[in-house]
Amino acid sequence: MNVKINLDQLPKEELFGQGNVGCKGCGGAIAGRQAMKVLGERTIITIPASCMATLGGNNRHTTWKIPFYHTLFECAPAISSGIRAALEAQGIKDVNVVSWGGDAGSADIGFQSLTGAAERNEDLFHVCYDNEMYMNTGGQTSSQTPYSALTTNCTVNGKKTNKKNMLKIMEAHDIGYVACASIAYPADLMAKFKKASSRKGFSYIHVLAPCFKGWGIPSDQTVEFARKAVESGLWELFEVEDGVRTRNYEPKLIPVKEYLTPQKRFSKITAQEIEDLQQQVNTRYGKVGK
Amino acid sequence: MAKELPIVPTAVPGSSVETSAAASWREYRPEVRESQKVNREVVLFCPDGAISIEKETVTIDLHICKGCGICAVESDGIVMVPEYTGVSGVFGVKEGNK
Repeated sequence: MNVKINLDQLPKEELFGQGNVGCKGCGGAIAGRQAMKVLGERTIITIPASCMATLGGNNRHTTWKIPFYHTLFECAPAISSGIRAALEAQGIKDVNVVSWGGDAGSADIGFQSLTGAAERNEDLFHVCYDNEMYMNTGGQTSSQTPYSALTTNCTVNGKKTNKKNMLKIMEAHDIGYVACASIAYPADLMAKFKKASSRKGFSYIHVLAPCFKGWGIPSDQTVEFARKAVESGLWELFEVEDGVRTRNYEPKLIPVKEYLTPQKRFSKITAQEIEDLQQQVNTRYGKVGK
Repeated sequence: MAKELPIVPTAVPGSSVETSAAASWREYRPEVRESQKVNREVVLFCPDGAISIEKETVTIDLHICKGCGICAVESDGIVMVPEYTGVSGVFGVKEGNK
């Protein structure tokens, strides 16, 4: 199924984002805004503890214009399942139920409820907006932190293990739709959200949403680095629909060094490690030579 | 007992926009110089939903813009100018004194 997004026909209304209390240049807020443009107002969203939950509002103010449920850390997909069951009992069919976790709320702390909902093939979709750190609590290592990145608890040489491949794990659940997106490619991201919302059954979308603070880049470079991650080949834009894997974007394959070295979190990476990463990318994209 | 509890005040949808602190955070503010050159995708790159494009007119809502500068990086025709000093800031110097 091909979904095309016409940027000129998107709704003008902002269902999320205006007046949010996130940092300036927040990648998560960009992901949320792009997603809400296609999901529309018939959507219920559940968010576990994460930056996305806090920037949704406090006290009597909220930036959301749709029902937003701030769940406990470990149970956003479980609560979404309950919401879907309640909607079904009332005979309401045209509502998207979305659970939206960070990398911790999806891959670490929230993983058990995510894998449970995927196994039950609930009619909802889970979004992991991945900033590759526990940014809401000050930038600790998560299982999604890439190799050699410095975090507030790996301060000497950085994390010395690889990033857990969540997309492969979710693919292994045999769910209908798994996709990987980046905020620097809004048309591609929105097409994936549209597709996930039009499908029955469980879908999983993994979005790269850089955190300028944790990555050690200027605030105006958030989107630029989300783009460089894709162009260098380290972040692949693809989708797996009913078992068929499609790569949605062929990167220009700029040297991975251009993506890694400007970021302060990679200041301890060695030349050999960069070379190894380049080799991995070259192998994945079947590129010969340099 | 339960029915004697007060009705809990709930948030009004989208009400954060009224209490936005963004303007006080801003060090630089975006200024549209050439609206015909502005990339239409820039609306989707703004984390705060501050930019809207209606046909050829580009509007930036400075009440909710935090001045991150993403729009100036991602699009031609928008530049960041210092908020309090500099050539065209609030307390800008005169054109002749650059």
